[in-house]
Amino acid sequence: MRLTTNRSLKYIRFWLSYVFIYPGFVTFLDSFLKSNMRIVVSGLGIVSPIGSGIDQFWSAAINGKNGIRSIQCFDSSNNRSRIAGEIADFDPKSFLKNKQIEQTDRFTQLALHAANQAMEDAGSLDCYEPRRLAVSLGSGMGGFATFEASAERRLQNKAIPPFTVPRTMANSAAAWIATQYGLKGVNLTCSTACSSGGNAIGMGLDLLRTGKADVVLTGGAEACVLPLTIAGFEALHALSTGFNDDPEHASRPFAAGRDGFVMGEGAGILVLEREEAAKRRGAKIYAQLAGYGCACDAAHIVAPDMDGQVAAMETAIRDAGIKPETVDYINAHATSTPLGDIVETNAIKQVFGAHAQNIAISATKSMIGHTIGASAAIGSIAAIMSLQTGIIHPTVNLDEADPECDLNYTPNQALKKSANVALCNAFGFGGNNVSLIFATV
Amino acid sequence: MNTENIEEKVIEFIASKVDDVDVSTINATSEFEELGLDSMDRVQLLFDAEETFGVTFEDDEVKDFHCVKDIIDYISNHQSSAPS
Repeated sequence: MRLTTNRSLKYIRFWLSYVFIYPGFVTFLDSFLKSNMRIVVSGLGIVSPIGSGIDQFWSAAINGKNGIRSIQCFDSSNNRSRIAGEIADFDPKSFLKNKQIEQTDRFTQLALHAANQAMEDAGSLDCYEPRRLAVSLGSGMGGFATFEASAERRLQNKAIPPFTVPRTMANSAAAWIATQYGLKGVNLTCSTACSSGGNAIGMGLDLLRTGKADVVLTGGAEACVLPLTIAGFEALHALSTGFNDDPEHASRPFAAGRDGFVMGEGAGILVLEREEAAKRRGAKIYAQLAGYGCACDAAHIVAPDMDGQVAAMETAIRDAGIKPETVDYINAHATSTPLGDIVETNAIKQVFGAHAQNIAISATKSMIGHTIGASAAIGSIAAIMSLQTGIIHPTVNLDEADPECDLNYTPNQALKKSANVALCNAFGFGGNNVSLIFATV
Repeated sequence: MNTENIEEKVIEFIASKVDDVDVSTINATSEFEELGLDSMDRVQLLFDAEETFGVTFEDDEVKDFHCVKDIIDYISNHQSSAPS
């Protein structure tokens, strides 16, 4: 009996040590490993409705340039939302061959254009094995333009283009980037609606931390200013319909009178690698990608839920090993929907408490609309450029804030603010929430 | 549209579809292979040719196509349905 009791005590001690000591050790080990393997951003590329190339985009963003216009790429007279953030001067012939243009959807072409910039910006990656070079890309709709065009032909009993499937598939852009640059490592595509690009960047971080790649080209691309996608979001009453005659005032995150989001298109690409290796090859280092958090609302397929957003931000902060009060800037998801902007405001207050009032917040979507799967990548680029330049771009169209949106959203004018830590939010249908944390190095 | 016109238009059409080829060297005897067109490129080329010339290529008849002349001859033989 005594023997049994002693054995029981030993077991209890063992399990107590497991419960109380092991998690502490894991946390210690985790932070030790992270502190010795910082992941940095060493290349950027962007195509957006307010400019292509980092310099052009950032100059436009800090000057509050507006990229929302009446839809040009199709006759939208039968739509209730007739405005969008389109890339008006995009010419794939300037960087793709005839056959490549025929074999690629517009979202892939936008991704390739941004990837070309990012690869040039990153400099030579010849010191790495091709099998260690990965791609992790996000897109909500993939090649939906191709899908729509081919479906229309099929319904008219016409032949469809032979590259319909490889143009439409969501991983087309990632595959083309890999093919163009001989990136023979992991090749992933993430489709989590409006948070796709955020998840893709987080997956890229994980690939580097777990040693599954040495470099990751990551980000998002979207090109769905299209009759069916516009009609689809209209049917959900998600799009702005009250500003068709005044497009520049339609995307108005946190503002009184906002009535939905404005569709946008674009692509943003980041080059990620380990800091030590980046320094060794003499790369320009923009920032550290310090943390990634992801959480599902598990509540509603389209309505946002504060708890999921809080969980994503808290997880990212914990992952980065920082204190919430060190966050200087938030690039908000802020789509300009009546409910979404309030929920995000409340989530930020919940996570940061009194410090929420000290944080500069801004909404890139106020200038370019909602680029769906590219939005987190573009928001991340804005956050990184804020760290680099000490300037926070404004949220335009914010003359009068919604009384329920009462934080500092950097209204209408850029703000000079030295920032060391920036958080980027991306929330998507399906209740998917992503937060990324960038920090100065 | 007479045969000469068809030949001229087909060569012009193919010149707009190929890459890294001196288009002035394209003629009726040019082989698809020497124009850098692999099997999938040829499927795309014929799809585009259907749209451009208003003909329908039957799978059985095009499977042995290997040069520009094959397209020219096919369109010439089906020119009742081709636009002038």
